[in-house]
Amino acid sequence: MTYDTVVIGAGLAGLTAALRLADEGGRVLVVAKGVGSTHLAPATIDVLGFDGGPVESPAQELSRFGEAHPQHPYASLSIDLIAASIEWLKTRLPAFGYRGGLEENFVLPTAVGAVKRSAVVPETMAAGDLRAGGRFLFVGLGLKDFFPAYLADNLGHVSADSAVSARAIELETSPGGEADVSSVGFARRFEQSTFRNAVVRGLAGQVERDERVGFPAVLGLQDAGKVWRELEEKLERPVFEVATLPPSVSGIRLFEAMTAAVRKAGGRILIGQTVTGAEASNGRVEAVVVQAAARPTTYRAGSFVLASGGFASGGVQLDSYGKLREAVFDLAVSHAEDGPRFLPDYLDEQPLDRVGVLVDNGLRPTDGDGRPLYENLHAAGATLAGAVPWREASGNGVSLASGYAAAAAILESDS
Amino acid sequence: MIGGGSTGAGVARDAAMRGLKTVLVERKDLADGTTGRFHGLMHSGGRYAVKDPDAAKECIAENLILRRTASDCIEDTGGLFVTTPWDDPAFGDSFVVGCEATGIPVEEIAVSEALRREPRLDPGISRAFTVPDAALDPWKLVWACARSAQEHGAQILLYHRVVDLERDGQRVTGALVRNELTGEELQIHADVVVNAAGAWAGQVAELAGCRVSVLPGKGIMIAMNHRLVNTVVNRCKMPADGDILVPIRTVCVIGTTDVRVADPDELEVTQSEIDEMLDEGEKLVPGFREARALRVWAGARPLFSQEEVADTREVSRSHALLDHRDRDGVEGIVTITGGKTTTFRLMAQAAVDAACAQLGIERPCRTHEEPLPDSEDGSFYVLGSRLRAREPVPQSEEIICECELITRQRLEEAMERRRTGNLDDIRRTLRLGMGPCQGGFCIYRATGILHAVERLDHHAANVALLSFLQERWKGAHPILYGDQLRQARLDDWIFQGLLGVQHLPT
Repeated sequence: MTYDTVVIGAGLAGLTAALRLADEGGRVLVVAKGVGSTHLAPATIDVLGFDGGPVESPAQELSRFGEAHPQHPYASLSIDLIAASIEWLKTRLPAFGYRGGLEENFVLPTAVGAVKRSAVVPETMAAGDLRAGGRFLFVGLGLKDFFPAYLADNLGHVSADSAVSARAIELETSPGGEADVSSVGFARRFEQSTFRNAVVRGLAGQVERDERVGFPAVLGLQDAGKVWRELEEKLERPVFEVATLPPSVSGIRLFEAMTAAVRKAGGRILIGQTVTGAEASNGRVEAVVVQAAARPTTYRAGSFVLASGGFASGGVQLDSYGKLREAVFDLAVSHAEDGPRFLPDYLDEQPLDRVGVLVDNGLRPTDGDGRPLYENLHAAGATLAGAVPWREASGNGVSLASGYAAAAAILESDS
Repeated sequence: MIGGGSTGAGVARDAAMRGLKTVLVERKDLADGTTGRFHGLMHSGGRYAVKDPDAAKECIAENLILRRTASDCIEDTGGLFVTTPWDDPAFGDSFVVGCEATGIPVEEIAVSEALRREPRLDPGISRAFTVPDAALDPWKLVWACARSAQEHGAQILLYHRVVDLERDGQRVTGALVRNELTGEELQIHADVVVNAAGAWAGQVAELAGCRVSVLPGKGIMIAMNHRLVNTVVNRCKMPADGDILVPIRTVCVIGTTDVRVADPDELEVTQSEIDEMLDEGEKLVPGFREARALRVWAGARPLFSQEEVADTREVSRSHALLDHRDRDGVEGIVTITGGKTTTFRLMAQAAVDAACAQLGIERPCRTHEEPLPDSEDGSFYVLGSRLRAREPVPQSEEIICECELITRQRLEEAMERRRTGNLDDIRRTLRLGMGPCQGGFCIYRATGILHAVERLDHHAANVALLSFLQERWKGAHPILYGDQLRQARLDDWIFQGLLGVQHLPT
């Protein structure tokens, strides 16, 4: 089978590249071993939230940041491109009502009551912004992945500069008589009006006049905007979601919206199939080999996007002898210095944190000397070397911008 | 009673059962030292049958007693000794002779039968022998002893460090202990002090002016994510490094090494030791290096030696009872050290016998007859018992730690019982965070619950979370690769990316 582009990986980077290319009329195939890291992280677009200290404005910090970290993906992605990728996402997924931009970060509470800075957030999370201070009420539903009392206790101490006060309330909800309901289970319940009404009744008379009301991010799977608006109307308060442990309901929404859009634009998506190798000749990747149920299948294409993720997704691997490897193309992987691979203190930056695939300015993987290996292979997302996204709060920002850029590079080379 | 390992808890129980007014002091938590860091093997004695027949005899005798009295702490896995292509097949003959001479039931079985029982073993093995090895849960064992001791009137003081021993001339009259959590000091008067501080026994004896040469022998162990074997598997050769694979609970543990160290509190694990374990693992189970490794840790064996010895493996695994009245002219203190967890009960008996002798009383030991709490019905622990309890009623309760199937109620009960702000204490009680995700999902939940149950302020709750996270990392980071690295990276995303715990106020 022949495609214009085969994308390996179905996280935000891969789906962004796929959707852009499909929108432009390309015949696109997405192949992924499983669902991507969308299911592990919230749907916020964190561009840059922390760099030795809190980052209030990514726009002001990004060029300095790129200079300070020349191997970071942001060093080769211009601010204009990052901004364009964000505008594209906002327009392309209107149902998310994404708010914000590169100028100023939102400051959102985490489920433990620390804060995280995000450039662009779904409308369902925006009212959690702590910058203006104020009074916050966090509502627990009996979900074991959300402890509002602990959250509120911390939040009152984290943000000393802005006057934030927080308190918690636990609603007794035992949906369907079941004691152990996951975040996805609660999200499905929120799509039922009876459950929403019960939550609203449970909160009747409990919310102070000036409080904003935070729920775990489980306000519906399909149409969170509708659930959120209804809660705001009925509670007559600003309502917001706080991201919880995986599975991330807001990330699942993003995955569902993106995959639906890719399919609608004519793309094909294969989940549960592992790309095990590639065929190349004359400096071009010709095909990838996929381990399907019955036998290996070869997919040929004009261009390829490698968005298989880093260690977490298995795109980059480390074996018991300490050997690093990129899983599909056996690409050169950036090396940590000789010495321990990990340090004794958990919260230190670890020597292997920035390991990934090295690329040129067109996101093409390079050999050890910086020359592109294949003219039609581009890498995007957590596969890329140089970032520590969980510390920088840069994960979805890198994925969105680099997926967008990979598509742009392919469109440019086609034209 | 000084020391809260298996020996100390055993002494406290034995002494209390004999009607002595007993208090146990432990500088940390029960089974925090060597006992909680062993491989989990309840020896049949087979390992020592050729090299150390005295130790072998003790092991098999105690093995049979523990099967009757500590059944809830034991999984009756059975044991295999196998001759791999790297081992001398003739050793099997000496092994059988040694087992028979020391009373260890041994039977040579066909290689095909051994491979049928343990299909992952190297198909190149040439001989296989069965012995009554088993898996022993150290935390259940020590806590059962402690509970029994308390039921017989003993007091258990955890996180109480012995700062000094009180002396009256050539007589020890008690101890000065400090509460490590509050800093409060407490004087305890005792007619007899039993020093069961294991690898730390030399330090305690020194407080009484007695010189006890305990050589801490470092042994490293690696827990694999799965039970690659369901039987304890030993190499059939003279004891060496990395030749035991013990299935315990949901994991299996390969061990161990034996390196003399200066300080039992400083046990570094080196990459070469890890590589040696993995390579030895390959010889038992081909593909061992591809399997997922969870953690590595080291324990300090207390090896007692009358003289200075260069190689700690040459020191007998038998225990040593030192009556300092006879040995050093210091009354009121006995030291029990050496030995191994399998023989802890015997050691406790010897120590309490000596204490009784110093007190001039004679009361018989009953610990070889009386079962421990929860072992009264004589049934062994069965892998899957937690799952079996949950399966019929899957939605009746929240499961907080999915890896180890710990329900919210069990967790809350443990927190209320332990009255602790330290999640590692809860781990030792319930195995919290010991499964494949190494706390990735349960640490936040358990902290949230601890915050509520113990009414911790945000600061104490954050310390609990971060300390436990660090404790889990301690055993994970030296051996992170393959799928466990994927898991660790997911945990990074959860704790640092999603929750931002690095920004918590502490």
